[in-house]
Amino acid sequence: MKQRIKLFVNGEAYEVYTEPNRTLLDVLREDLELTGTKRGCDSGECGACTVLLNGKPVNSCLILAPEVDGQSVVTIEGISKPNLPLHPVQEAFIEKWAIQCGFCTPGMVISAKALLDRNPEPSEEEIKLALAGNLCRCTGYVKIVEAVKAAAEKMKEGRS
Amino acid sequence: MTVQISRESLIGKSLTRVDALEKVTGRAVYGDDIKMTGLLYGKILRSPKAHAKIKRIDVSKALALEGVKAVVTGKDAPFRGGEALRDQPFLAIDKVRFVGEPVAAVAAVDERIAEEAIKLIEVEYEDLPAVFDVMDALKPDAPIIHEELHTYEHIPIVQPVPGTNICAKFEFERGDLEKGFAEADVVIEDTFTFAPSHHGQIEPFMAIAQVDYNGRITVWVPNDAPSRLRKDLSDAMKIPQDRIRVISPPYMGGGFGGKGGLKVEMVCIALAMKTECRPVKIRLTREETFEATLTRHGAVCWVKMGAKKDGRIVACHSKLYYNTGAYAEKGPTVTLHGCESGVGPYDIPNIKVEGYCVYTNRPVAGALRGYGLPQSSWAHESLVDMLAHKLGLDPLEIRLKNALVEGSINPIRGDELFSVGLKECLEKAAKAIDWYKKRPPNRGVGIACEYKATKTPSGSTAFVRIEQDGSVEVVTSSVEIGQGVRTILTQIVAEELGASPNMIKVTVPDTDYTPFDASTTASRTTFHMGNAVREAARDAKKQLLELASKLYGISPERLDTWDGKVFPKEGGKEMSFREVITSHYRAGLSILGRGSYYPNIPGTLFSAHSVFYMYAAHAVEIEVDPETGVITILKYAAAHDVGRAINPKACEGQIEGGVLQGIGSTLYEEILFDDKGVMLNPNFRDYKMPTSMDMPKVIPIIVEAPHKEGPFGAKGIGEITLVPVSPAIANALFNAIGVRIKDLPLTAEKVYFAIKKQKGGN
Ligand code: FES
Ligand code: FES
Repeated sequence: MKQRIKLFVNGEAYEVYTEPNRTLLDVLREDLELTGTKRGCDSGECGACTVLLNGKPVNSCLILAPEVDGQSVVTIEGISKPNLPLHPVQEAFIEKWAIQCGFCTPGMVISAKALLDRNPEPSEEEIKLALAGNLCRCTGYVKIVEAVKAAAEKMKEGRS
Repeated sequence: MTVQISRESLIGKSLTRVDALEKVTGRAVYGDDIKMTGLLYGKILRSPKAHAKIKRIDVSKALALEGVKAVVTGKDAPFRGGEALRDQPFLAIDKVRFVGEPVAAVAAVDERIAEEAIKLIEVEYEDLPAVFDVMDALKPDAPIIHEELHTYEHIPIVQPVPGTNICAKFEFERGDLEKGFAEADVVIEDTFTFAPSHHGQIEPFMAIAQVDYNGRITVWVPNDAPSRLRKDLSDAMKIPQDRIRVISPPYMGGGFGGKGGLKVEMVCIALAMKTECRPVKIRLTREETFEATLTRHGAVCWVKMGAKKDGRIVACHSKLYYNTGAYAEKGPTVTLHGCESGVGPYDIPNIKVEGYCVYTNRPVAGALRGYGLPQSSWAHESLVDMLAHKLGLDPLEIRLKNALVEGSINPIRGDELFSVGLKECLEKAAKAIDWYKKRPPNRGVGIACEYKATKTPSGSTAFVRIEQDGSVEVVTSSVEIGQGVRTILTQIVAEELGASPNMIKVTVPDTDYTPFDASTTASRTTFHMGNAVREAARDAKKQLLELASKLYGISPERLDTWDGKVFPKEGGKEMSFREVITSHYRAGLSILGRGSYYPNIPGTLFSAHSVFYMYAAHAVEIEVDPETGVITILKYAAAHDVGRAINPKACEGQIEGGVLQGIGSTLYEEILFDDKGVMLNPNFRDYKMPTSMDMPKVIPIIVEAPHKEGPFGAKGIGEITLVPVSPAIANALFNAIGVRIKDLPLTAEKVYFAIKKQKGGN
């Protein structure tokens, strides 16, 4: 039996009718056609599907659609808008060459943003820990970690 | 007086990636993001058996399910494909040869119905004896996996041995092996084993296929070689290439050699042939991506080396056995390349290398970053260390003593080598970790080096188009796998044409519009396609200057371009590309430059000595916990001779990524099977890949020994970055605690027991 679910995604209200066993990732990618959130494993092991649920990073493939009824979700599409400035994490990813194939990138950006939101000056160990659930097979993480450090710096400058 | 126009070269500059903005904002489109009108979804029923006859298949119940539009089995698509040897059916025909082989497939209006429908298909099997171990498969009484081996078509370089499980066999011999060993003061030999591993691309496999009313096939697929895919399909289906169109999705989420050849395409096309022009999409789950796409070959490598007292290696004999699984895929040429680096990057006068590509009932093994070298290198680079130990020599010094240098003769193929930066790699990598420093107990250093060929000969064609608005398009079939090819080609074209990078875009491959390119593999693209686009840019520039010369009233030789403008060399008014074109062709026109590169080396595909060689040396410092066996990597220096770094950051990215991928398969990655051939860890939970927590301190070092034929001297880098990792770490393990492990991976458990044995044993 399909259920009616209301959710807020990137500040907009949506209503979807869905089978209750579909996941938030299914709803985002298939119903709302927000394909920036990636499906890498569908079982909570790669982090490619990371979104912010009420401000906290989660694997959207592990969350059933009915659980997000009335909740607020931010996907990569909500982090920046065309013609507006990028988020400092995004800028830093570009500058530091923290991207190769890009498939892990949306999830990485979300996890990094969530980290810097709760801990503006993370140590290298804290950065690595915050990204431990996001697999990247291309970069060896070196430039990703550098980018998160650089983003923290940028945000610090932005605050002062 | 000549005016000096300041132009800073774009070559060697770390421009930011041209695709970074789309990727970092989540707007980059990958295969699974594509939807189409009328799209159907396919699911595959896979074999639960490693080796069995198919007695009966009944699809009637699946076909009757509402929403199901087509069901196919092997009989509906009686084709066999394969780049090197055409042995692989689109879906199993009469028998299955590995657990996970497609047996039937369903296309339905949604994925859930398709999923339900495949469960309704009844298949009756009759078990056949299976063989999984590569050495067992070579025994005279081993079950034969391909009874029809003698009937398969193959490229000339591949020579199967009918009546056995030998899919291909290669042999290289130079000098006089017996004499060499007789002259040696020390001879040692040993056997090393290599565990199968997986690419672990974060993007799972997918494809969309559509057959139009004329029967023409279009496939949208993240495949690393659209031109080759079209040929492979045409060869398999016995239809002309122009009946097939391959379109790359804008982006691919990692390949590492896995997303090439025929994978999901085969089943997807078989279904699309029965869906009355409706497109069919198949996306594999993570489990299917593990179980049924491709693995890196497990291997057994035996090496024997003989050396003089002073460390000079005078003879080397290797026998390499690659477990290629149920079908050939690229296994034969993986084996060939493994052989081509079968004695290491050393000037050894007497050699023999034998390579065997062997069928078993394992999933198909093929290309994975390094193409046969991670296995062969693991063996000879471990053995060189053992040799050094026996001779009382330093592992770095024995390598420097034997290393190939400019003008050396390639020990395998006998060609003269140039653009050889090996010694510099060895010296710089060693220095970066302070090689000679005295270290506390349980710490050690290891080094390994290698050289790698690229597939030769192979061709690339490109266009460079200057539009009437002055913008530039690079028309190419090179695939952006993540390596940064669009950025590199942009830099090369910008430099050659005198355009600014932001005027340039690089196409996404579509075989209807983008010209032939052999493949985006073998680290060949910067060199081959780089040369092709450079020539096309030169041609476009020539035409542009001819137009401009009419406007300026001076000869084209007196004009030049930079930053999207034409200017007289002696100074004067600048004109933008747009102004030049529109002033001349007032109603508009495009300028089309053409370029091709095909090395001037005779031979058929893969048969010739390499047009360039990449050289690398890795040095690592580790610490071993003798209580737990855990290896911690303290410092990892990887030096690579790339000819010329077009974009140093891109090269660093390849090194850092390749090293960590290599650390994974060295320390813990291993595909495990039960005794029936079922994969036990087909997911990221049980198949452990490195995370950010496992990232060591990596020091990428770029060495430049320019290649006379490479674009601006460039060669390649991607594949070799992973190759020296395993022996470098194993050598460091020996250096740290005196334990030599000869089978990968070097898990903590294995190290722990090795230490225990060493302590208790003698
Ligand atoms: S797709 Fe959700 S964690 Fe991998
Ligand atoms: S950039 Fe490819 S997986 Fe991270």
